[in-house]
Amino acid sequence: MRRFIRFVIMMGLLTACCGLLLEAQGTSGGDIAVVVNADVPIGNLSFDDVRRLVLGDKQYWPGNLRVTLLLRAPVARERDVVLRKVCDMNEAQFRQYWIGKVFRAETASGPKIVYSNDMALSLLSSLSGSMAFMDSGAVPRNLKVLQIDGKLPGQQGYPLR
Amino acid sequence: MWKSSLLLCLILQTGETSVQELLARIEALEKRVQELEAERRPPVPPAPAPPAPASLNAGSHNGSDPQQAALPAAAALPQYPSLELRGFSDIDFSGSDQKGTHSGFSEGQFTLHLVSALAPKVNFFSEITLSARRDAGLGGAPGFNPEVERAIVRFDQSDAFKVSFGRYHTPINWWNTTYHHGQWLQTTVSRPEMVQFGGQFIPIHFVGAQIEGTMPARGLNLNYNAGVGNSRGPILSRPADFGPTNNTKAWLANLSARPSHARGLQFGGSVYQDRIDLSPGQNFREWITSGHLVWTRETPEVIAEIANVTHRDLAGLLPVSHSQAFYIQSAYRLPVANRVWKPYYRYEYIHIPKSDVPFRTVPSLSGSTIGIRYDLTEFAALKFEYRNFRRPPDSTRVNSAFIQTSFTF
Repeated sequence: MRRFIRFVIMMGLLTACCGLLLEAQGTSGGDIAVVVNADVPIGNLSFDDVRRLVLGDKQYWPGNLRVTLLLRAPVARERDVVLRKVCDMNEAQFRQYWIGKVFRAETASGPKIVYSNDMALSLLSSLSGSMAFMDSGAVPRNLKVLQIDGKLPGQQGYPLR
Repeated sequence: MWKSSLLLCLILQTGETSVQELLARIEALEKRVQELEAERRPPVPPAPAPPAPASLNAGSHNGSDPQQAALPAAAALPQYPSLELRGFSDIDFSGSDQKGTHSGFSEGQFTLHLVSALAPKVNFFSEITLSARRDAGLGGAPGFNPEVERAIVRFDQSDAFKVSFGRYHTPINWWNTTYHHGQWLQTTVSRPEMVQFGGQFIPIHFVGAQIEGTMPARGLNLNYNAGVGNSRGPILSRPADFGPTNNTKAWLANLSARPSHARGLQFGGSVYQDRIDLSPGQNFREWITSGHLVWTRETPEVIAEIANVTHRDLAGLLPVSHSQAFYIQSAYRLPVANRVWKPYYRYEYIHIPKSDVPFRTVPSLSGSTIGIRYDLTEFAALKFEYRNFRRPPDSTRVNSAFIQTSFTF
C-alpha cells in the first residue's frame, strides 16, 4: 500500500511538473517590443505615454504625425501582454472601453487589428506614424524599436514582458 | 483522493496541451492564408492607397473593421471617407405608484452612431435617435420621433488643439458627454434628473463651435473645451438649431484632469454663460458653474456632480436666483460569478427657488435610486432598479420599479 501511495505521489508530482513546464512554454517568449514606422520622430517613450497611446488618449506623435495603432487580434500573446501590463484590462473591458471612446467622439476609430506579425510588418512599412507591438524575437533588424523609459527589450526593468 | 488529484492533473495537462496545439495550428493556418493571398495579389504599395468610394462598415467591438479579418494588409490601409455605424437601444418595463401611470413595457431610444474619417485629421461624428412618443406619428398619433442629437465635424491639428463645429452634447456635465444616448454604457437605467433628456436645468445640447485638446502636463493629463454658440431657444430644453434667437452668444469653458498616477480618477469644472429670452421684457443672464469628481474603475465606481445656475433679470426688476443640483452615484463590480453583477446606489437633489422665473416649471427633487446591473454578455446588460423620489410642493413620495435590457450592436 505504501508503495502504491509513493507511486501516486511521484506520478502526481511528475504530472504537475510537466504541466508547469508546458505552462512556462506557453507563456514565455521574448519581451514585447514597441515598433514604429521609420518616420516616427522619437526613440523613447515613457510607460505612461505607451498607455496613453494604447488607450487613444495620445493620437499624435511630436510633429503632429497621426498615430495608427496596430494591435494583434485576441489570443495573440502580444495583445495579451499589452492589455494586461499596459491597460490593466481584460479583453471585454478593452473592447467596451473603445466603444465608449469612439461614441464620445474622442477618436474616429479604434486600433487596427492585425492577424499576424507579417501583416503588422507590412502595415508598419506602408503606414506613416504606425506603431505595433511584436515579440522582440520576431522584429527584423531594420525596424525601428522604441525604448520604454530608456530601456530596450531584453534589458533589465523593461516593462513589457 | 490521490487518484482524483492525479486524474485532475492529467486532465489539466491534456487541456493545456490541446490549447497549445490549437494555437499552433491557428498560427500555421494564418501563415498559410497569408502565403496564398500573397501569391494571388500584388505586393503592398509603399504609398497610401488612393481615395476610394465611401464604404459602410459596422464598427466591430474590438475597435477595428471586422471586414479586415479576411483582407490582406493592403486592404487595411485607410480609405476616405470611411463610414462606421454602431447602434444602441433598450427595452424597458416600469411600474409606479404615482397616480395616472400604468405599468408596462416601453421601447427606449433607438440610437445610431455614425463616424466617418474624411481625411487623416478630419472626422465627422453623428448621433441619431428614434424615440417612441405618443404624438410623433402621422396626425399626432403615436410613433417615432427622429432627432439629430449630435452632428460634429472636427479638424485635428494635434492632441492639444482640435477645432469643431456642429451640434454637441454640452460639455459642462460629465454624464452628458460620457454616456450620451447609449443606455448600455451607463451603469443605471436612467440618467440623473439634472441631465435628463428634455430637461431644462442644464442645456443638454449646444449648437456652435468648439476648440478642445489634451495636454500631458506632467502626468496630470489636462483636457480643455472652450466653445461659443447660439443661446438656448425660447423652449429651454432645446437648443436654437434653426438659428440664433438673439445677438448674444452663449459660451462655455471646461477644464478637467485625469492624473496618470491615479488611473480612473477624473475631476474638473465648467462655466457656461448665456442669455435667455423668455418673452419680450423677460430677459435673463444665465450663469452656470459645475464640477465633477469621478472614479471610473468599477471597484468601486463613484460619480459625483454638482451645478449651480444663476439667473439675473436684465431689467433688474426681479431678484437674482440661484438653483442647485447634485447627485452622487456609487457602484461596485462584484468579484464573483465572472464579475457580471454590479449593484449601485444614487442620491440626487435639485433645489429650485420660487424666485427662479426661467425655471418655474422645473420641479425640485430629492430621491434615491438603488439597483443592480447584470451583464448578460459583453454587449448586453439587464438592470433592475427601484426609485424613491419626492417632489415639492406636496412632497408625496413616489415609488417606481424598472427593468431594462440595454445593448449595443
